Amino acid sequence: MFEGLMQALTPSYMFWLTIGVLIGMLVGTLPGLTATMGTALLVPFTFNLPAGAGLAMLGGLYVCAMFSDAIPAVLVNTPGTPAAMATAFDGHPMCLQGRAHEAIVASCFASAIGALFGAGCYLLLAWPMIEVALKFGPPEFFWLGVFALTIVGSLAGDSILKGLAGGGIGLLISSVGISHGNEIARYTFGVPELRGGVSLVAGLIGIFAVPQVLSMVAQLRKKDSIADYHPKRGETLKTILKVLAHPFHIVRSAVIGSFIGILPGAGSPIAALVSYNEAVRWSKDKSGFGKGDLRGVTASEIANNAAAPAAIIPLVTLGVPGSSPAAVIAGALMLRGLNPGPELFQSDGTLVYSFGWSLMLAGFVTFILGSLFAPYLARIIRIPLRLLAPLIMLLAVIGAYAIRNNIFDVYFMFGLGVFVFLVKGLGFHPGPIGLGLILGPIIEPSLVQAMYIAGATSIGNVFFSGTVNIILIALSVLSIAFVVWTRSVDMMKDRAAPKEKDRSVNGDEDK
Amino acid sequence: MKKASYLLRAGILSAVAGAFLTVTASVAVADYPEKPITFIVPYSPGGGSDQQARRLQPGLEKELGVTIRIVYKTGGGGAVGFNELARSEPDGYSISNVVVPNIVISAKGKDVGYKPGDFSYIGMTARAVGALMVPKNSPYKTLDQFVAAAKANPGKLTVAGVGNTGEANFAELAKILGIETTYVPVSGGVGKMMPMLQGNHVDAGMTSSSHAVRHRATVDTLVIAGPGSSAALPGVPNEPNWTYITTWGVMAPPGTPADKVAILNNALNKATADPKVKEMVEKNGLQQMRQTPAEAKAYVEASIKKFSN
Repeated sequence: MFEGLMQALTPSYMFWLTIGVLIGMLVGTLPGLTATMGTALLVPFTFNLPAGAGLAMLGGLYVCAMFSDAIPAVLVNTPGTPAAMATAFDGHPMCLQGRAHEAIVASCFASAIGALFGAGCYLLLAWPMIEVALKFGPPEFFWLGVFALTIVGSLAGDSILKGLAGGGIGLLISSVGISHGNEIARYTFGVPELRGGVSLVAGLIGIFAVPQVLSMVAQLRKKDSIADYHPKRGETLKTILKVLAHPFHIVRSAVIGSFIGILPGAGSPIAALVSYNEAVRWSKDKSGFGKGDLRGVTASEIANNAAAPAAIIPLVTLGVPGSSPAAVIAGALMLRGLNPGPELFQSDGTLVYSFGWSLMLAGFVTFILGSLFAPYLARIIRIPLRLLAPLIMLLAVIGAYAIRNNIFDVYFMFGLGVFVFLVKGLGFHPGPIGLGLILGPIIEPSLVQAMYIAGATSIGNVFFSGTVNIILIALSVLSIAFVVWTRSVDMMKDRAAPKEKDRSVNGDEDK
Repeated sequence: MKKASYLLRAGILSAVAGAFLTVTASVAVADYPEKPITFIVPYSPGGGSDQQARRLQPGLEKELGVTIRIVYKTGGGGAVGFNELARSEPDGYSISNVVVPNIVISAKGKDVGYKPGDFSYIGMTARAVGALMVPKNSPYKTLDQFVAAAKANPGKLTVAGVGNTGEANFAELAKILGIETTYVPVSGGVGKMMPMLQGNHVDAGMTSSSHAVRHRATVDTLVIAGPGSSAALPGVPNEPNWTYITTWGVMAPPGTPADKVAILNNALNKATADPKVKEMVEKNGLQQMRQTPAEAKAYVEASIKKFSN
């Protein structure tokens, strides 16, 4: 392990790591360019480097992209990758209040904490953690998805019913394409491109970026730019202290992120969403969430960054990638003739450890570069709307196309975006729709597989036995009960003090 | 001073012009290929097809003298990428990975917008036989034990595989062994199936033996398909009547001219002959193949016939 640290700290390793971080900054910031695509594009360049330096570069990109996806989430309410969806919930309202710089620095610092924690798990706890992760089979993933779905309660806005409907719409859209198991084409209307399903990334760009641009156009006469930004001295230090003021919140978010990150197939987006939900649930004063609470931003960013190094743990312990970028990293190792898995731990232990240290160092480098760039990035919101709106639209189109090189994804993005813009006027929040889109591809296949397994034994045996199942079911029930309880308390308060109604209702952050 | 710089500039200009002329001359001699070739990978980055494309890319670029642009067109178990290729110009500038029999099974009995028999096949480059695997701590240490348990409890043992392709290929083995089990289809590739197996959520898993080789630290192989044993999996019995072989190759859109296919085939076989490529292929548990376009076409047609009923 010590040898690995020495290797990771050599100047050439640090140089390539920094290059990776810089590319990750760009990749994460541009919606549609995901960490998966960034690492895939970079793989050929790593062949000329020593294995560890190549891994440091890929790891740097991955970790930094999990931070920089927060930048567009904060500035223009469009997550750079699906993992930053929860960051937008509070990050963008902060930006509208003129706190863009604070939100970016907080994301950046939170990301560094997350990476530090996730990489720490990788270096110290890889084996015990993977033992627990292996307990997750199809029924456990199904219940995890159901538990994640209860987050609708925190995102729903003023109407739980509209939140549920939004989640349902998201799930329904995610079911387009060839079905799992029996492989029947669903809702494809004879369009061959739809057989492959809709793209999650294009969908999220549609849900967030298109309504944003449309409302910018609608506000052109009223507003010149998104918000004001006045650089303040000492903002970075002040923000760091604000983040550190909630140590329990930090640890909780990091633990959730690392553990969900390690589960093959769950990944950073779910880690961030669950962490956000828990932040809302555990905090005493919930009224600020969705309106620019710093803890909302840090909950999401700590978790999605902790999930990135954690997603490498199944790769080095089982040979199975924990996320799509981890799959690309596995491919890069195999192209070198290295076999990622327990054998690599034995044969090239130094390489495995130096990669872990590089992931940790990537967190530091990301923080340094991110906080340096933050004031300049925050200035983006001062760009006049008549220039910014077409620019965002252009990036949205490029991003939706680039994710699968499929023009149909661009049409889908526009269609869904216009739809969300219209239903937003009816009081729907885009969050639950995005949540449904993210969770559909986890809930449905695991439900189908679990049903097949249940066919060999029984439904009760598969779905309702086993410690993990019971825990997840209990958590889901508690989560629902909690939502019902807080909502009825709110309603009673409203009745008692009708004049204060405006304060207790979670309004739409755009209004 | 001025004159000198004038001379220098003239010299640079003529050198540039000269270089330009030689470039155009060499293009005129061999007019194909003269621009980058798009190589479609119809599966996710990091998977077996991506690996194949990345392995071949340097050799193909060297032989053809143009850039090979790798483009991922994923979805529908490869169907989206295959479709894209079928609709591309058959001018030799679009090629794609192909996995047999997966492409055949993807189009079986459905209208997916392409017919596997129509493509211009350039050649298959690597293959792996099928393997039935169990977790390291499985109660079934041998194929006989597994078969005995399956016969004692018909339909009670679960076997995971990837999608419909896995189902069709496992059905063949189940018939030979005379067993009845519950098949669990996994979508999203072998990467999603392995943890189910490693965590004992299914009794067995079936996929290409290349994955059995890669994961030999966590899973045991009970049997492999085909007529011979495998050097990479010593001591594992083989079932000669089980014909499940996965083959990775390269193809072009239907109607690509034969002379261009021949140029691509030549470059492909030179790329696979590189000792470094050979070593990588073997380390990843695959066997190398070398085919002419005619052999590749015949190979795909045989597979179509096999899965036609």
